[in-house]
Amino acid sequence: MPPQAQQFIDALNATIPLEGYLVVGAIMFAIGAWGALIRRNAVVVFMCIELMINAVNLTLVAFADYLPGARGAGVGYAVLVIAVAAAEVAVGLAIALAVYRTRKTVNVDEVDLMKG
Amino acid sequence: MTQTVGQQLIIAAIPGLPALVFLVLALFGRYLKEGAQYVAIFGVATSLVFSFFALLSVAGVIGDGQPIEFAVNWIDLGEGGSFQMGVYIDGLAAVMLVVVCFVSLMIQLYSGGFMQDDARFAWYYAVLNLFTASMLGLVLAPNFIELYVFWELVGLCSYLLIGHWFEKPQAARAATKAFIVTRIGDAALFIGIIMFWRATGTTSYQGIAEAAQAGFIGGSLFTAAVVLVFVGAIGKSAQFPLHVWLPDAMEGPTPVSALIHAATMVAAGVYLVARTYDIFVQSPAAMLVVAYIGGFTALMAATMALTKKDIKRVIAYSTVSQLGYMMLALGIGSFTAGIFHLYNHAFFKALLFLCAGSIIYAMNSYNVFEMGGLRHRMPITFWTMVIAGLSLAGIFPLSGFWSKDAVVASVFAEHFYVLFGMALLTVFLTAFYIFRAIFLAFMGEPRSEAAGEAVESPGIMTGPMVILAFLSVVSGFVGTPIRNYFAEFVVPSAFAAETLALEPEAFSFVLAALSVAMAVAGIALAYAFYVPKPEWASALAYRFSSVYTFLDKGWYFDDLYDRVFVRPAMATGRFVREFDRRTLSGLISGVGRGFLGAGERLRPLQTGGVQNYALFILLSVLVLGVIVGAIAGAQYAFLMVALIAVVTLTAVAVGARL
Repeated sequence: MPPQAQQFIDALNATIPLEGYLVVGAIMFAIGAWGALIRRNAVVVFMCIELMINAVNLTLVAFADYLPGARGAGVGYAVLVIAVAAAEVAVGLAIALAVYRTRKTVNVDEVDLMKG
Repeated sequence: MTQTVGQQLIIAAIPGLPALVFLVLALFGRYLKEGAQYVAIFGVATSLVFSFFALLSVAGVIGDGQPIEFAVNWIDLGEGGSFQMGVYIDGLAAVMLVVVCFVSLMIQLYSGGFMQDDARFAWYYAVLNLFTASMLGLVLAPNFIELYVFWELVGLCSYLLIGHWFEKPQAARAATKAFIVTRIGDAALFIGIIMFWRATGTTSYQGIAEAAQAGFIGGSLFTAAVVLVFVGAIGKSAQFPLHVWLPDAMEGPTPVSALIHAATMVAAGVYLVARTYDIFVQSPAAMLVVAYIGGFTALMAATMALTKKDIKRVIAYSTVSQLGYMMLALGIGSFTAGIFHLYNHAFFKALLFLCAGSIIYAMNSYNVFEMGGLRHRMPITFWTMVIAGLSLAGIFPLSGFWSKDAVVASVFAEHFYVLFGMALLTVFLTAFYIFRAIFLAFMGEPRSEAAGEAVESPGIMTGPMVILAFLSVVSGFVGTPIRNYFAEFVVPSAFAAETLALEPEAFSFVLAALSVAMAVAGIALAYAFYVPKPEWASALAYRFSSVYTFLDKGWYFDDLYDRVFVRPAMATGRFVREFDRRTLSGLISGVGRGFLGAGERLRPLQTGGVQNYALFILLSVLVLGVIVGAIAGAQYAFLMVALIAVVTLTAVAVGARL
């Protein structure tokens, strides 16, 4: 096996440092935030919010592993977030559906009844 | 001395009954209507009977002849002492009780006729009774605090009664003026009371007098406190320089004027000085102030009365003048003469006002120049008024003669020759002005249609007038030089007599003849000017028109006070109002407008677009993150924030382009 390949395998087998998880989480969050801010379709906005939530979950779990003193609190918290996210999607999609039924659109730009 | 509970209840009922009548009439007056007078008269008549009981008890006829004295704790301050509500009746208080109840009864009888068909008949009687109750309470009070409570009640009632016809703007103004001017005196009195209380720890007259003797309070502080108490008396008794309210108070119903002038309001000031005589005599300076204020007021008010056209104002100035006599007598140490004059004055002054009221009732005018010739049309009014006038002028042997002569003689005996001259001149002026009014009203030919058609007042009004006329003749006989019962009964305390070191004065025939001669001269001059030769009077008034106007305007006191006090006060009021409206109000509404404007500016931020809100949330988190990162210095937090910032800005940039 050439040394480069061995190096690659070692690198794959090596423990991934915390920063790796955090960077992935941050990128996921950023993509989610970007999508939530600029996409017009409400369903896509929900998907982006899910992305942000899962980025946070990933961070929580990573810290739970990295900080043994926390005694897995982050994991428990992640489970809670997942539950809340499920509820949020249920409510959010119901709202989107109700908006679609009354206005025949799911475009968030066109829903601005609360304009001051 | 101790009394049984029953006796104490009777004493307490003297002011208590009229107060009860006030409550009954104030609550049920609208159902009683004209019946209110019977309730009121029953109440005050019972008080009069009880007052006689007190008088006889103090005089020793049915009791032991000792002062009646009892008290209950009212406010207990624990370590700080206590304030008491009590009763102290000696000869002075007993005489005052009877006089107040009697005059009040006469006036309430009379008012039944005079105030007939008045819209607020029951209320009028209610306040009349509260007035009587307050004055009786004031007479009974053994300490300054209790006195002050009733003192203020008297002021309040005078305000209500002077302003009884408050639909008339002059009446409303006169009521306010009376209230404010007497309040100046009240404030001074209260300061005086506080000074005494601070220095001696007590408010009882006796306690303060004893503390002053023992030296707990003395020197200029003591004199100042005594003079402040006297300023209170000046305000209530309408002495110079606070006399301006009394002539204006003529806007009230005439029986009210009679009550104010004879028994309740203005007598309170003289009574206060007499009651606290043990305190006054310890300050010779204060006594001099009392004497000179009294003497000057007597003369000043007599000159003001010379030119008045309004018959009630003539009598009003005469009250000011007579009260000056009383103050003068008290000030020179002639306690008995002063109180004797107060007692006689109550009857003939009440009578004068009731006579004036009778004329006003008959012809609905106050102006003496519209009267004339009423002698035949109103004989009872004429004769009673002549009796009252003679008594006021001090003609032998009517009541006014005995007391006025006692005052004038004691001024001479105490060697106050300037005051004596003023007093004697006042006797002359008094006789002149009162008979000027009487001659103008009753002699000659009717000068108006109303005067030609006037008829005598009904019996309910002339009855009290006749009774008072009888008393105006005989009330002085208790104090004649032959046997002076009054001087034996109403005496200053042994301490006051000793401090003043007065010599017993003999009745002087020369002085009496002199004062009667002055009075007769005044009457004769009035007769000459107003009956055979009325043109002389107008010619004289024309010749000395500046003097005439000066007197007619009341020495310009009203104008002076208007310039010095009223207008600056009004200007201050206007300034404060403008300050309030412009500055304070502007400030408050400015703050309100500021928030409104800020809201208007912030309104566009609420776009209604969900994504905008999300952007704000994100930016806020960013800002918070930067702050937290900067404070904690956490690299990862900072890293996250930087990343979010980059993403957000990209998002905004892309969003803006889309």
